[in-house]
Amino acid sequence: MSLIGINNLIKEYKTGNETVLAVNNVSLSIDQNEFVTLLGQSGSGKSTLLTMLGGLAKPTSGKIVVDNIDVYELPSKSIADYRHEYIGFVFQSFQLIPYLTVEENISLPLSISDLTNQEQKQLVKLILEKVHLEKKAKRLINELSGGEQQRVAIARALINEPMIILADEPTGNLDSKTSEDIMKIFCELNNVGKTVVLVTHNTAFKKYSHRSIELSDGRLVNL
Amino acid sequence: MKLYNISLQSLRRRKAKTIFLIIGLILSVASVVMLLTVSKNVNASIAANLDEFGANIIITPKTDDISINYAGMSINSVSYNNKELHTNDVEKIRTIKNKDNISIVAPKLLSVEIVNNKNVLITGIRFNDEMKLKKWWNVNGKIPSEVNEVLIGSEVKKKLGIKLNRQLKIRDKDFIVSGILDATGSSEDGMIFMDINESQILLDKKDKVSLIEVAALCYDCPIEEIVRQTSSVLPGANVTPIKQTIESKMTAMHRFEHFSFGISAVILIISMLIVFTNVNASVTERTKEIGIFLAIGFRRSHIMQIILLEVITASLLAGLIGYVIGSLASRFIVPVLTMDESIRIVYDYSLPLLSVGFSLAIGFVASIYPAVRATRLDPISAFRSL
Repeated sequence: MSLIGINNLIKEYKTGNETVLAVNNVSLSIDQNEFVTLLGQSGSGKSTLLTMLGGLAKPTSGKIVVDNIDVYELPSKSIADYRHEYIGFVFQSFQLIPYLTVEENISLPLSISDLTNQEQKQLVKLILEKVHLEKKAKRLINELSGGEQQRVAIARALINEPMIILADEPTGNLDSKTSEDIMKIFCELNNVGKTVVLVTHNTAFKKYSHRSIELSDGRLVNL
Repeated sequence: MKLYNISLQSLRRRKAKTIFLIIGLILSVASVVMLLTVSKNVNASIAANLDEFGANIIITPKTDDISINYAGMSINSVSYNNKELHTNDVEKIRTIKNKDNISIVAPKLLSVEIVNNKNVLITGIRFNDEMKLKKWWNVNGKIPSEVNEVLIGSEVKKKLGIKLNRQLKIRDKDFIVSGILDATGSSEDGMIFMDINESQILLDKKDKVSLIEVAALCYDCPIEEIVRQTSSVLPGANVTPIKQTIESKMTAMHRFEHFSFGISAVILIISMLIVFTNVNASVTERTKEIGIFLAIGFRRSHIMQIILLEVITASLLAGLIGYVIGSLASRFIVPVLTMDESIRIVYDYSLPLLSVGFSLAIGFVASIYPAVRATRLDPISAFRSL
């Protein structure tokens, strides 16, 4: 069953007088509980596609429909709500808030929810156990290793129970052993029902996904 | 975890930025508190000094007949008095509601007498009160302390050709000239001053008073109100405020106040610029952070709340600390400016609230634009910085 529908998606950027076509007429469909890797060279448009999917960059034309919601037809408040409810982002360089502790970073998405502090603490505790960071809950981010920081980022992406995990080069800053560990976490998440879209240039990660899609110059190369 | 936790943690853990922001605001609030406190106290001190420097109210008997001019005021002649003032009227003045504002009450008995075949104005006064009131009087010799001593004006000295410590006969009674007044350029130069009680006996005007000069401390009271209250206890008298004196006192008093307000306005603008620069730079630095907030589903209003809450918290803290520092600083500055080590500094009770309000207003107004700018950050550019 299709969860994400992308139809004739185009994204142009203007750089000075030049117009760059970052995503060029891409159409694809991703099923619920599917694990998809988006492969491609640097500048191929895969990250741009991911940001559009995450409701952060409005396409120049085309449609993105998620769970029967036409994302870019929503008003701006509702697009923020869409990101909050449907999407969990994981970035290459973790993107954690340095002045917050591990547990505060993880509970960041809950700060705009109606949950009480007690309920939030309960959820954070459970997720910390899942990513094996319960002993580092009170640490600041700069006190953690790269792998631990990425696990915090994954925990933050999951705390809201989103349907879709969008990961942009999540292992780009990690060694191969830690990268394998992180990829295993994504597989586990997929096994418990999450739809995972993972952007990478590492073709070795194809093995973890159900399907690989390659982009080149903004176009789909191989479905 | 709530949005305010993010703001508080940001303030707590980004110490350098927070301290810079708070110090900027503290300096502004403390300066304004100090200026206002100093201004209020110095004004009060100047006012107290000025209030004792000459009368600001003249009380005369009610009559249509005016024939004598005293210190620039037209005074009715005693010989034509329809209604008269009495010694007990002097005490009545100190019974009005605003009696605490009455600084000096100086009654006078006036009479034109022939002395050495010349017409001279004899003025009975209370020397202690008069000397406090006429701080500009410069006496050669000594101020009369005995009932048979008199003080003469410089014109009288010339007119009668009399010298210091010589005898003077008035109505067959001998007096000694104990002091001669330096020229004042007023009608006082043509007067002979003696003790008021002695003058009442000499002139056969027991308990009579021709006029009363009053110096009222009127820094924070309306002189018109004192005049009204005095008129009500002295229905047979004309109570007249000397507008010119009052106006010049008010001008002198408010000069420093205006200066303080002017400086405060400059400080307000400078501190707004400090906060604006600080918050604006902070928003630029936090583009990445704002991108993270957007990515995890924060609305623009949430981002605005975080930024404004940070500034408001810092402003609140700065307002309180600034008030304390400003008040302490004024404790050292007021005695220096008033040249009075024993001065009791009066604090405005609304100042703590005013300080916090001032600080909050600066913080809020100066951070509105950066906060709005943060909410308008293009998610793509914020995201690109991730």
